[in-house]
Amino acid sequence: MIELTVNGHAHRLDASPDMPLLWALRDLLDLTGTKYGCGIAQCGACTVHLDGEPVRSCQTKLADVAGKQVTTIEGLHPEGRHPVQLAWVAEQVPQCGYCQSGQIMSAAALLARTPRPTEEQVAEAMDGHICRCGTYQRIKAAIHHAAIQS
Amino acid sequence: MDGMIETSRRLFLGATGAALLVPVIARAQPAPAPTPPGMGDPGPNRGPGQVVPFIRIAADNSVTLLTPVTEMGQGTHTAHAQIIADELGCAFEAVRVEVGQPALPWRRQPANEQSSGASFGIRFWHDPLRRSAAAAREMLVAAAAQRLGVPMAELAVAEGRVSHAASNRAVTFGEVAEAAAQLPIPAQPVVKPPAERRLTRQPLMRKDIPAKVTGAQRYASDIKLPGMVYAVARLSPVPRAELDGFDRASVASIPGVLDVVPLRRGAAVVATNTWAAIEGAKALSIRFKATPEDGLSTEAMMRTLRQRTRTGEAARYRNEGDINAAAANGARVIEADYEAPYLAHACMETENATARLENGILELWVPTQNQDWALQGAARGAGVDAAHVRVHTTIAGGGFGRRFMGEVSEQVAQCVRHMGRPVKLIWLREDDIGQGWFRPAAAARLRASLDAQGNPTGFNFRTAAQSIFAELRPALMARPGTVDIFAAQSVATDHRYRWGGNIRAEWARVDFQMPVYIWRSVGSSQNGFFVESFVDEVAHATSKDPLEMRRQLLAHDRRALNVVNTVAERAGWGTSLPAGRHRGIAYVESYGSLCAHVAEVSVTGNRVKVHRVVVAIDCGDFVNPNTIAAQMEGSVVMGLSAMMGEKVTLKDGRAEQVNFDAYPVARLSHAPQVETHIIASGEAMGGVGEPGVPPLAPAVCNAIFAATGRRIRSLPLADHGLSF
Repeated sequence: MIELTVNGHAHRLDASPDMPLLWALRDLLDLTGTKYGCGIAQCGACTVHLDGEPVRSCQTKLADVAGKQVTTIEGLHPEGRHPVQLAWVAEQVPQCGYCQSGQIMSAAALLARTPRPTEEQVAEAMDGHICRCGTYQRIKAAIHHAAIQS
Repeated sequence: MDGMIETSRRLFLGATGAALLVPVIARAQPAPAPTPPGMGDPGPNRGPGQVVPFIRIAADNSVTLLTPVTEMGQGTHTAHAQIIADELGCAFEAVRVEVGQPALPWRRQPANEQSSGASFGIRFWHDPLRRSAAAAREMLVAAAAQRLGVPMAELAVAEGRVSHAASNRAVTFGEVAEAAAQLPIPAQPVVKPPAERRLTRQPLMRKDIPAKVTGAQRYASDIKLPGMVYAVARLSPVPRAELDGFDRASVASIPGVLDVVPLRRGAAVVATNTWAAIEGAKALSIRFKATPEDGLSTEAMMRTLRQRTRTGEAARYRNEGDINAAAANGARVIEADYEAPYLAHACMETENATARLENGILELWVPTQNQDWALQGAARGAGVDAAHVRVHTTIAGGGFGRRFMGEVSEQVAQCVRHMGRPVKLIWLREDDIGQGWFRPAAAARLRASLDAQGNPTGFNFRTAAQSIFAELRPALMARPGTVDIFAAQSVATDHRYRWGGNIRAEWARVDFQMPVYIWRSVGSSQNGFFVESFVDEVAHATSKDPLEMRRQLLAHDRRALNVVNTVAERAGWGTSLPAGRHRGIAYVESYGSLCAHVAEVSVTGNRVKVHRVVVAIDCGDFVNPNTIAAQMEGSVVMGLSAMMGEKVTLKDGRAEQVNFDAYPVARLSHAPQVETHIIASGEAMGGVGEPGVPPLAPAVCNAIFAATGRRIRSLPLADHGLSF
């Protein structure tokens, strides 16, 4: 049994300690907002917060999160109205949307530690993500938007 | 079709008198009227409150649009809701959009398939959707007139209500929808004139975005059915190779693994969770049959393509004037060889499908761009009649042409049949890229002749490439010498440059056993790069400004001229730039739209930076300008990504790049600022999802030439030692 806290709720999972957090979230806890994209930490679609820091859940084993706080896109804000989420709507960022949970989680973590990021800081925080639809211009605008709002 | 005959007859009579009435009617009568798109038997989509096939109205006044088109990010569902709300006379917010299942009204002819491609979402479906909504509105008004006991002419429609001002009474759509649904569908509904359209040509907020920022949006890969198990495919690294056999014992010790299902080109490992299935798929000891393609290498294939730009048979699709005479009489001939590689779609959501078989009905949830191919695949896989398959099209995590294939639908159905319970099947990224249906590689040889003053007098264009249609639509390519329309894209009638009236264009078909199909903008993505880079070469060879060169080639065509002039003006062509920045221009027509880019680029050592791209697109008319801007921004990034580093090579028949570590895709720091200028010329509506891609690579490469004097004739730029 692995004990972990996800979005403020304690869970005990009967799963292999080697199972990546990604699949535990999706298959065992039905938190499907966190996506599989590559399985090798190259695309960022699986990004969640571990004790507030963005991590790639496809490379994070359940054993590594025991006793820690996991936040997924579903837990970022109780009504889905985190400033980053609001900015993503205001700037009409998503196209297919599949990568956006991960993008939003990294953007939220960035703004939590750097409320007014420079262009370079935005690039550094977000370049681990791939958006195949190419929404980057709007992602940049939305991060700026959220930074101004908060 | 009926409408066209009626219109032409009226015009004909008005212009020439009654004497010609008989032959016109005689010609119009024998052909039975084909069912207009959007009409006919709704088949499995039949439901309560269905006023017309595409539109259901519930008692609570909510409107459901059963659209033919898959939403894969391009924004079509929002635009379709705008068209329906506009024409029906209800609030945009009242319209919910679902994808209909394959049946006549949802299919396009002559293929008789429901599909989403060729940038057809708006340009083809705008009119059928609008006519459907107009028909539904007329039926609602007729039902309301009966209910209220007043003439139809006294009724007005707004905000989902039909009202009678004189008696101050009204009924809601929901109150009369069932009665309206019993009425015959008017054959000639009258659509609103453009001046009365309130919700189209408006930048309304996308309907799908709120759920996409909270994690609430369910993609097919997120579906969980009661009793469902999880399958992960392990497919042959040689895309054509068939399964020879596997060793079940190799996965028996993995906790959670339930079974291994044989597939045509591999196997699916089924488990109680995805992770166990992945572990099983990786550990599975599996053998594939040898194929003639086991030794296939792109190195040898590219050599063949280059050779075929010079020798052997080629199908000719343009031959105007006399290019040989033009060359012989000209003062100068300029020649160049170009090439472009195989490309992968790399949709963020890998190929997947979920299915269950209950009471003889196979239900399928799949992000597909071709519902009929998904349906046929699922029927084959489950061994059920196609009439017993239900296709639920989910919101897709990207498409770009990759999701036409029915493979995952067939495979998940095989798994369901084998396991006797619901199954979700996903492909790992390695198969999603490695299994291909790549954009074909192409080689090109271009030749221009010039007179003594440097004016172009002839253009000869020959490419060599695989056929897109040869494998999946063989009937279209059966006749020897047939030109694959994708090979001729942007060089056929959609190439407006005059070249002194002497033009020859040819395509040498080369059949490699490599799975190829459409990739966002398809042949235009290559031909656009070849032609627009070459035009730049011709301009520089004759000391002409690249914009002036294009103006000269387009001097006879006001519409095209306006597009290049608009992009030049908005980009400040000819004005000074910050030190180190240079501009490049390109103009490509595809999918009925004319699109031009000006890129601002700097090159420092071997490092290229694209700062700004100005886009002008003439797509005739439009529904949602914000969606168009988004498509242009995304097209620029996808074109840039392909140009920078994307390339699939084969070694021993296997793709050498199967994940994002080896197949580099553009990231945020690569993305330039994109400015979009929409030209509503009033011409026939063109596509938007694809035409923004082709001009990007040549615009940037032309800017690189302006910056460095270095001409790039093959992609990607990473092969030339350039980085970003």
